Amino acid sequence: MKDVQILWVSLRQQSAKEVPFSSDNYAKFLGGRGLGVKLLYDRVNPEIDPLSPDNLLIFAVGPLTATSVPTAGRFAVVTKSPLTGTIFDSNCGGYFGPQLRRAGFTAVVIEGRATSPVYLWINDDEIEFRSAEPVWGKEVSNTTDQLLDETDRKAQVACIGPAGENQVKLASIMNDKHRAAGRGGVGAVMGAKNLKAVVIQGTKKVTVSDEKQLDQVVSRVRRLLKKDSITNKSLPVYGTAVLVNLINEYGLLPTYNFQEGTFNDAEGVSGEKLLERIFVKRYHCFGCPIGCGRITRAYGEEGGGPEYETIWALGPQCGINDLEWIAAANNRCNELGLDTISLGSTIGCAMELVQKGNLDAQLSFGDTEGLIKLIDEIALAKGLGAELGEGSKILATRYNAPELAMQVKGLELPAYDPRGVQGHALASATSNRGGCHLRGYMIGPEILGSPVLVDRDRIEGKAGLVNLFQNLSAAMDSMILCRFTTFAFSVQDYADLVTAATDLSVNGKELLQIGERIWNLERLFNIREGFSAKDDCLPPRFSKPLPEGGSRNRIVHLEKMLLEYYRIRGWSSQGHPSKAKLKQLNIQ
Amino acid sequence: MPITVDELAKLIDHTRLKPETKRVKIQELCEEALTYEFASVCINPVHVEFAAELLSGSSVDVCVVIGFPLGATLTEVKAFEAREVVRKGATEVDMVINVGALRDKNYDFVRSDIREVVSAADGAIVKVILETGLLIDEEKRQGCIISKEAGAHFVKTSTGFGPMGATPYDVQLMRKAVGNKMGVKAAGGIRTFKDALRMINAGATRLGTSSGVSIVEGYRWAGYSDAWLEPDKPCWTCPSRQASLAKQPKEVYLWYKERCVTCPHRDENIFND
Repeated sequence: MKDVQILWVSLRQQSAKEVPFSSDNYAKFLGGRGLGVKLLYDRVNPEIDPLSPDNLLIFAVGPLTATSVPTAGRFAVVTKSPLTGTIFDSNCGGYFGPQLRRAGFTAVVIEGRATSPVYLWINDDEIEFRSAEPVWGKEVSNTTDQLLDETDRKAQVACIGPAGENQVKLASIMNDKHRAAGRGGVGAVMGAKNLKAVVIQGTKKVTVSDEKQLDQVVSRVRRLLKKDSITNKSLPVYGTAVLVNLINEYGLLPTYNFQEGTFNDAEGVSGEKLLERIFVKRYHCFGCPIGCGRITRAYGEEGGGPEYETIWALGPQCGINDLEWIAAANNRCNELGLDTISLGSTIGCAMELVQKGNLDAQLSFGDTEGLIKLIDEIALAKGLGAELGEGSKILATRYNAPELAMQVKGLELPAYDPRGVQGHALASATSNRGGCHLRGYMIGPEILGSPVLVDRDRIEGKAGLVNLFQNLSAAMDSMILCRFTTFAFSVQDYADLVTAATDLSVNGKELLQIGERIWNLERLFNIREGFSAKDDCLPPRFSKPLPEGGSRNRIVHLEKMLLEYYRIRGWSSQGHPSKAKLKQLNIQ
Repeated sequence: MPITVDELAKLIDHTRLKPETKRVKIQELCEEALTYEFASVCINPVHVEFAAELLSGSSVDVCVVIGFPLGATLTEVKAFEAREVVRKGATEVDMVINVGALRDKNYDFVRSDIREVVSAADGAIVKVILETGLLIDEEKRQGCIISKEAGAHFVKTSTGFGPMGATPYDVQLMRKAVGNKMGVKAAGGIRTFKDALRMINAGATRLGTSSGVSIVEGYRWAGYSDAWLEPDKPCWTCPSRQASLAKQPKEVYLWYKERCVTCPHRDENIFND
């Protein structure tokens, strides 16, 4: 197997060189998230400031990117997060990833800091550093359009908005104007490097190891996507917003900053209402037959989204029931380059701080008055916005109520109350990047019944399933494929795809071991940064029962699951990977 | 894994009985049955020739429903339907029992109704659908005994159009009633591999489902964790949970619900999930 090429960029020296990622490492970590994690662990010194030039910002694709495999258009952004201090990968759809692969690179690694704003123009093998002064301060759509005018209309842009420029910890990196590598403040890292955008055009042919074999496997998995009711019916028709009514029925839709689990006006912000009121058309990422994305119209303006998580964060989390306003606020976040989940959750946290008398501000649940202005202020790091832009953990601590921040390891939790889903609770607490539903998507089996429904209240067996999904997700994020394929594919299908596309020959268990290796290396990174078992926890709110709804009287039973989880992982009771485990995974 | 993926597939009657089914869906059904080597395709009579042609020379049987889904038509019509579909290529027929006659305890009529179909089927496998959701336990038992006496090869739980799907409880009851030599087909509401395994554990030897592909594909996950098979809430598999006043005779509905009050799992029956 051949080495794969990384484009290593020094912003300080304004130089770029190709360096190999060895075939041995590629076999152990694949590309995408795994590649980024390996590089970050090896090349970044402990305890650096994530916003310093010492941090690396890695854009990576994987062995399936830009092939015929459905959903193989995603890319990962890997860095040390300024929001959490953990290792972090943020995953994005759109069309940027295939351009990177076609340019001949599996990753672009950015180090250092430019002395003035620049953007990187990668046109196959030609690399240019260009001034970004003319677009600095501009929002995402304008930036994208102007940079495409300056380069090539067929290129793709990954850029930051004002939030990233101002190093706001909720800043995202945007592609195709409304697709986001949203979480963890990766946009702030880019802004701290004075890097406004990476623009790529790749025209090279992407080859695979066994084209015929890949065609066969692709034909099979396409059929599976078409056969599955979630990927062939629910997501195409309603988008991810299909979850609003369902999750609300289960009493899991966090409302008023997780004080309640049922939102009375859920119907009004549901996927069904989105289809009836603001839907314009579907949006497909590269190579995706599902097409869960939405283009919507709010107050006369078209935009991408909102997704389920955004509807929740800007809606029920803040007590807001106006779907059109939510869509407009989502558009604003996209233009400013802000992570809607962390933003909405932090605003909800601020609303509760006001409600409890800890904070004096014109904020109240359900009131949209002044919120668009506040979102702008967050992106510009001005006034109260500057405080909210630090994320909920710092905000709530500043106002003497850290328990009101609905976060894990500094990352705001997404749109599922853990009290009604024990496996999801465990997955959230143990996530290497903090409060996240996608490290191990337990909502699949616990709520959606995919691949099979398991009792959401039961704690027995959950550690094993979380372990399985976390390992698989790490491997998937390194290929890279969309998480929604798990509704239709099984583990062996992913292994077959990797086997056909690369020189590796892996079965399902070997693929999971790659994921496990990545997971353990992420854990080692975090331990090196001072994280420990005490950080595998949830906000204290989840130890008190929900007052009403489909998950009333439930609390999270984390302790028992956590010990079992560590045992299954081969970690000590303090959450440290054992020497034997590291040896088994061939991690030095 | 209690059985292999291939063994599971061979127990499945790959089913498509919805009235709006287009020809292309029957073609898809047959192609999937060939790919996964299911036991049969289970279809409405109108599609029998097309399916028989597509599956000709394969190990996949053509199973056609008779007197479906109510079972309330004339015996002569059921027999005619059976004769014709077998003539046109069916190798299995799934007939619906006369539910009203069974509830009237008109056992001679029920027996004769089945016997006529068995005779008309001319050696083809005959399965008798009891529509368990319309019956109390004693009626289910009686239906099983009569089906066996009439020469049927299988008893089957449900049509999928009635008030209830299959439950392990009913499958177990039917298995006990017919003994080990007769087939028991669980059908209705079987959507996941866990549902399928529960039915097999309860004594089913055939599974009728329109989710055959999903069941088999889902079962591949079982090789990566034992946790899938952890027990669920007991109510999930209980027929009393499925009972519906809107769909069942009042006395049948109450018969099911009365059992909830004395159930040892009563305290767990708080939520409806």
